[in-house]
Amino acid sequence: MVLFLAVTVVTYVIFYVTPSDPARLAAGQGATPEDVQRVAERLHLDEPVWEQYGRFLWQLVGEQSLGESFVNRQDVNDIVLRAAPVTGALVFGGAIFWLTLSIPIGIISALRPRSLIDRAGMVFVLIGLSAHPVWIGLIFAYFIGYKLELTPITGYADFFNPSQEHGGPVQWAYHMILPWSTFAILFAALYVRLIRANVMETMNEDFVRTARAKGAPESQVIRSHVLRNSMLPIVTILGMDIALALGGAIFTESIYSLPGLGRQVLQSYENFDLPVIQGIVVFSTLCIIVFNLIVDLLYAVVDPRIRLT
Amino acid sequence: MAVLEVSDLRTSFRTDDGVVKAVDGVSFSVERGKTLGIVGESGCGKSVTCLSIMGLNNRQNTISSGEARFNGENLLEMSSRKLRTLRGNEIAMIFQDPMTSLNPVHTIGRQLVEAVMLHRDVTKRDARLRALELLKAVGIPRADRRIDDYPHQFSGGMRQRVMIAMALINEPDLLLADEPTTALDVTTQAQILSLMTSLQEEFETAIIMITHDLGVVAEIADDVVVMYAGKVAEEGTVDEIFTRPYHPYTWGLLGSLPRLDADLDRLVQIQGSPPSLLNPPRGCRFHPRCPYVMNVCRSVVPELLPVSHSPQHLQACHLDEETKDQEVQKLLEGTLAEAS
Amino acid sequence: MSEDLLVVDDLAMHFPVTRGIVFQKQVASVKAVDGISFTVKQGETLGVVGESGCGKSTMARCLMRLLDPTSGRITFAGRDITHLTRTEMRPIRRELMMIFQDPYASLNQRKRVGFIVAEALQVHKIGTPAEVKRRVQELLDVVGLNPEHYNRFPHEFSGGQRQRIGVARALAVNPKLIVCDEPVSALDVSVQAQILNLLKDLQRDFGLTYVFIAHDLNVVRHISDRVLVMYLGKIAEIAERDLLYAQPKHPYTGALLSAVPIPNPELGRLRRAIVLEGDVPNPIDPPEGCRFHPRCPRFRPGHCDVEEPQLRAFGAGHGAACHYPLERWPMSGEEIRRADEEAVAAG
Repeated sequence: MVLFLAVTVVTYVIFYVTPSDPARLAAGQGATPEDVQRVAERLHLDEPVWEQYGRFLWQLVGEQSLGESFVNRQDVNDIVLRAAPVTGALVFGGAIFWLTLSIPIGIISALRPRSLIDRAGMVFVLIGLSAHPVWIGLIFAYFIGYKLELTPITGYADFFNPSQEHGGPVQWAYHMILPWSTFAILFAALYVRLIRANVMETMNEDFVRTARAKGAPESQVIRSHVLRNSMLPIVTILGMDIALALGGAIFTESIYSLPGLGRQVLQSYENFDLPVIQGIVVFSTLCIIVFNLIVDLLYAVVDPRIRLT
Repeated sequence: MAVLEVSDLRTSFRTDDGVVKAVDGVSFSVERGKTLGIVGESGCGKSVTCLSIMGLNNRQNTISSGEARFNGENLLEMSSRKLRTLRGNEIAMIFQDPMTSLNPVHTIGRQLVEAVMLHRDVTKRDARLRALELLKAVGIPRADRRIDDYPHQFSGGMRQRVMIAMALINEPDLLLADEPTTALDVTTQAQILSLMTSLQEEFETAIIMITHDLGVVAEIADDVVVMYAGKVAEEGTVDEIFTRPYHPYTWGLLGSLPRLDADLDRLVQIQGSPPSLLNPPRGCRFHPRCPYVMNVCRSVVPELLPVSHSPQHLQACHLDEETKDQEVQKLLEGTLAEAS
Repeated sequence: MSEDLLVVDDLAMHFPVTRGIVFQKQVASVKAVDGISFTVKQGETLGVVGESGCGKSTMARCLMRLLDPTSGRITFAGRDITHLTRTEMRPIRRELMMIFQDPYASLNQRKRVGFIVAEALQVHKIGTPAEVKRRVQELLDVVGLNPEHYNRFPHEFSGGQRQRIGVARALAVNPKLIVCDEPVSALDVSVQAQILNLLKDLQRDFGLTYVFIAHDLNVVRHISDRVLVMYLGKIAEIAERDLLYAQPKHPYTGALLSAVPIPNPELGRLRRAIVLEGDVPNPIDPPEGCRFHPRCPRFRPGHCDVEEPQLRAFGAGHGAACHYPLERWPMSGEEIRRADEEAVAAG
């Protein structure tokens, strides 16, 4: 609750500190000063900041509404809810992608340090960490999308409502492959390194030695003793990363023209569309809070030491 | 009848700085129902010796040679698969730190059952019954409820008991115990040692007890091996080693102990510190710290030879027996020359 | 007649256990030290012995005023230091120094040895830089290190040598009292002997007073004049060293003495240890009445679990807190129980 209030207040303050004139922008080009004044009144921009903030909170709590966009008077709720699933698909799909990629590589690298696989994995990590997602996105879009024509370059296909000529699950996935890969590479690189380090460290733990001393075959040692213990820290970090990513996978959405929250934020920012920005901030904060909760609960499930306290 | 016979065991580790000769020619044997104490300070190779016997060293950078004959077969030349059937079954090992030696995310019941199921073709239910049996045998109160608890719900002493239960669950012929009581309080240590001796009586298990504590050795060992810098300095029965030790290092060790049963003004100090095993001293490894050093000690490695009046008692030192007898006298009188 | 250098009166240190995220409510307290009193005379060594959870380390920190005692009084060199502020404690810290257990962790790895030893001198602004340097070299020599190693870093020294550096550091300002918190527990046996000999020599040469904390009864016996046995935050027994080891009155002391392994196989075989039941308990929830009663072989229901025994005198300076102290020593576990039954039968 405190976090929530803090975040929204900060957004408001920042907004009002930056020099801008949303009323004029909203009124459009060629508006007369009177038009601007009228717009300003309409959007309550002529009121003192704290009144506007109060109005915002009242609206939120009482009407569950995030207000209306300065730019096109659309319901912010709608805007956010339309964009959220796109970002959601990107992030969650990307998360599955990067986990499927990083877990095996991380584990194998740890089990066979300095082998060819391990070294290849490390090169991959280096590239993943150093290359900017935008650059990767462009490269991917160019080679795989354009040159090889394996996947569409941009655009989003709605999962549930097939519209126009593309839609439905297959098309959806098809369109998402590139964005997922781009989004995931950075995280995959981080996770490979993390998993590798964790697994290697766990392998040296005393209880692993005990398991071997009992005569367990190596596969059982790994499966039963090493994996679960080395994955514990991953759970916490995963929760945090997803929460952050939801806030705006900005770069990836821009490259691939995916109508998600990230792109929305960029647009709204350019237009000084406060309600939308505020709406997205509210939504993201909510997500982070919820996710942290889920992670905490998950951690208690996975690690019995946490359960009893 | 010997359960384990070790001859000329050598284990080296390849490290970035070079080859570390952690164990350099160690030989001893353990009889059924008896306890062998391997005593020495940190870095002397006592732990590595036992890990080598069990084959638990990191395969990638370890070179082991020599023999460790268990019931006739050389463990060091055994295939991993065969070795695994023995580990936890006929040869078991318990470690120093009970806090970290148990998997924190599995119940102890599950870990015990795993120990059984690895080597016995029984149902999970029978394995669990067996686990309960052992938990009771090692003195865990309310075992039927505690079997489903996690390691962190037990105290240090209790955890060590669980480790002992896990090690003995398949009735091994040989138990290797690597400093099992070092991390425990002294009253808990007394409990654990008492438990181990009574279980030994019941199952006739041979025990190798590694420790740096000469008091513990005196209490429970039948035979003793004193190690220094990867080699055996002296070995014999516990009475021989404590009443007629024949190696300057042993004298130093015994003399440096503050004790309840003697009044010493000054403790014997062994000057210097244990050597690096990357580049051990030439000749006798103890010579840089030995107050009785002679020229031969600096160049010739002393062999492990029997003492004239007691062939079971072996020692590796160039010093003649007469001088040794004199020094032993001094030690017993508490007037041993200081090494500094 | 030696002066009382340190007087501790009913010292208690309780750590609150709180619940709640925003509004913290105290639900329990860890009574690490719960009412102990003793004195230490100038020039003597008081050994403090006990197992984990007994409170000896917490007590050490209270003595050094690294903690703020919950209640009680600490008088050092005639002055009440219990609740002095940091500034007020400053000049007193010159006379009250500490040596720590872990030679690897207690020295700042990034500072040179010369700096580490000289730090106290510099804090208290004693001596010119030249004098300080000379003093440091003198100290390094006194503790058996090479004065030329002034400029080396801790990692270039072995464990035993690092502990010597710790000792030099404590000596730098000529303290009156040094609290040694398990200074040899982390060292190998042969190195342990070096440090113990050193501490004894220094005591003789500089007239130092020690409070020596350890869990090893052998070590404590070697270096102490008087010994204090702690159990779960309270004093079980306190006596002159020889008396404590020869005629312990408290069953816990008896159990400790019989549990300590002696490097003498014959004696070891003859001895029948008093093996205690159960584990060393948790100071959050100490047992009612006598804290030792759940593990005591002399436990008398109705008395020991109801009334807490006070420290009783058994001759000069010998106190034990027990309702049924040991009549003689040595006694084995069975003998202790039997003696108790006889006492019951006798009425």
